[in-house]
Amino acid sequence: MDALLNGLLSLSDPFLLFLLVAATLGGVVIGALPGLNATTGAALLLPFTLTMEPVPAIAILTAIYCSATFAGAITAILINTPGTSASATTCLDGYPLAQRGEAGRALGMAVVASTVGGAISVVCLMLAAPLLARAAYNFSPPEYFALTLFGLSMLASIGDGSPLKNLIAGGFGIFLALVGVDNLTTVERFTFGSYQLYDGIGFVPVMIGVFGISELLVQSSRLDVKREQIRMKSVMLPTRADYAKSWRAIVRSSGIGTFIGILPAEGATVASMIGYNEAKRWSRTPEEFGKGAIEGVAGSEAANNAATGGAMVPTLALGIPGSATAAVILVGLLVHGIRPGPTMFTEQADFAYAIFWSMMLVNILFFFVGLRGARVFARVTLIPVQVLWPCVFVFSIVGAYALDQSMFDVWVALLSGVLGYFMRRYGFSVVPLAIGLILGGMLEQRLGQSMVMLDEKWWLMLTRPLTLLFLILTALALVGPAFWNRKSRRSSTTTSNREGMTDGKD
Amino acid sequence: MPRTTKNSGRRVERFLVPALIVIFCVVAFWLSTTFKKMPPILKRGIQPSDFPQLLLGLLITLTLAMAWFDPIRIRERLHGKTIGTLVIFGVFAAVTAVDFFLALAIFAALLAALWGERRAHILALVGLVVPVLVFFLFDQVFEIRFPRGLLTNVWYG
Repeated sequence: MDALLNGLLSLSDPFLLFLLVAATLGGVVIGALPGLNATTGAALLLPFTLTMEPVPAIAILTAIYCSATFAGAITAILINTPGTSASATTCLDGYPLAQRGEAGRALGMAVVASTVGGAISVVCLMLAAPLLARAAYNFSPPEYFALTLFGLSMLASIGDGSPLKNLIAGGFGIFLALVGVDNLTTVERFTFGSYQLYDGIGFVPVMIGVFGISELLVQSSRLDVKREQIRMKSVMLPTRADYAKSWRAIVRSSGIGTFIGILPAEGATVASMIGYNEAKRWSRTPEEFGKGAIEGVAGSEAANNAATGGAMVPTLALGIPGSATAAVILVGLLVHGIRPGPTMFTEQADFAYAIFWSMMLVNILFFFVGLRGARVFARVTLIPVQVLWPCVFVFSIVGAYALDQSMFDVWVALLSGVLGYFMRRYGFSVVPLAIGLILGGMLEQRLGQSMVMLDEKWWLMLTRPLTLLFLILTALALVGPAFWNRKSRRSSTTTSNREGMTDGKD
Repeated sequence: MPRTTKNSGRRVERFLVPALIVIFCVVAFWLSTTFKKMPPILKRGIQPSDFPQLLLGLLITLTLAMAWFDPIRIRERLHGKTIGTLVIFGVFAAVTAVDFFLALAIFAALLAALWGERRAHILALVGLVVPVLVFFLFDQVFEIRFPRGLLTNVWYG
């Protein structure tokens, strides 16, 4: 209880409040710019937070996370281009509403749903993270090893790549984590005698490369895309009729988003898809979905913002990132010397609750920013890419250099960017690579500790109930996506056959 | 015929990517066999080469499975502007040998020009004002010094 109040009191610092307001505004701009999203924004800003105290530094990153996730709705509704992938489903009904001259109504609902979703998920975070941490307090290395393996296995189902490609990307990330001097035995691995590789490959330059620079290369092939923005008078709060129609969708999607966010590695994109589908399934007028249903905007936006709080639960309680942006925040925690996990809620409880309260405040802040400033922020979408991306490059490269004032980090960021671009070109998501890099070292360390503990008899892991449970979940997470893909492919073939027949009849 | 060439190029990429991953893993696996072996008392559960070898074996298996069940499909050729951007990366890398700040400025201006910006004042903003602002932000606010070079030496003395 003391920690809860101390965390709240830390928000009385005017400097922290100023930073939170600035980060919220910055996050809304980042989320509104097509091509930039919460993950890229957090990765680019990470080096700038290194000189700060841990609370403001992590509060800035979480503020970017929450506000950029909301701001994706601005471009989704006004130019039919999701500012972030989590807002893709918002386009489906938001843009038709805007085309009908109801952009202000759609944005108003997006603001309310995002705020409610975000606030509910932060309350869940405050309740669930300490409980989860307490449950994990008695975990031994075999349980941690199996849990980390489970977190990594969830990579199979994330991102825009196929399960196999996601796993390969994740495996490659783990491989990169092995470069350097082995912590357990002090043996050099894959260093080629280079002293710069002794400490391994830095997380921050790789994050800047795979999320920032690779996106620059992706944008270079989309220069001829023309974006037309729909004009909007002002953002309006939803009417009573809109609330009556949508409150169930908001509450349901907030729950779904929080739950999906808590699952390791599953982020706001999956949450918004499920939130939208469930809003449609439970709606009295499902036929309106896709043509401008206000519940569609509510379902999608409540879910994607709820996933932000949910994703922070495993990140803080177990040290396993709940999403790509949470992975960047996890890097921020590690760089600041904060070890997420069960001990965080006993040894650094004030810090944890300060972060929770700052997330709550950001959710309230972007309510006002969204209502009053969405019209202004919509204009940032008109910044030409040929001006925006050179500036992004300058910031990202200088950010990579600033970490250790080392040109080596600049080359790592550049190479990671080129690698990330080609990975994306060939259908591999870069998110598993980033998460694999963060968790790789931990996985090996816990395997080693488990082997010592179990006298090098690995099969004894199967005799420990919790370890066995996590291993079964791992197997399910690996097999599940392939099964569902096959099932959905079969059902889509059947549907397309049926549609084909209907077309023929018509 | 151009169409045949394009298709065969894509077919090559379909097999080239898994082949490159497998070759990378095989080379890394071979390198891992050169790691020092720890005596039993110091090995802490596993040898330094055990985990990398396990991982690389898994990566090879997954890559072969991908090549068979989920092959790479390329729909578009590499965009001309993307190739140009990659070339400018090379220019950036070369100019950093002279001066890091100069390399940033040249990169930003060249990229804006390559992507279609023709207005001189915008090119000046991107290629001069932004790098100068970033330089002073880091130098004065964050107290981070750029590496010494032709131009930065003028400021640092």
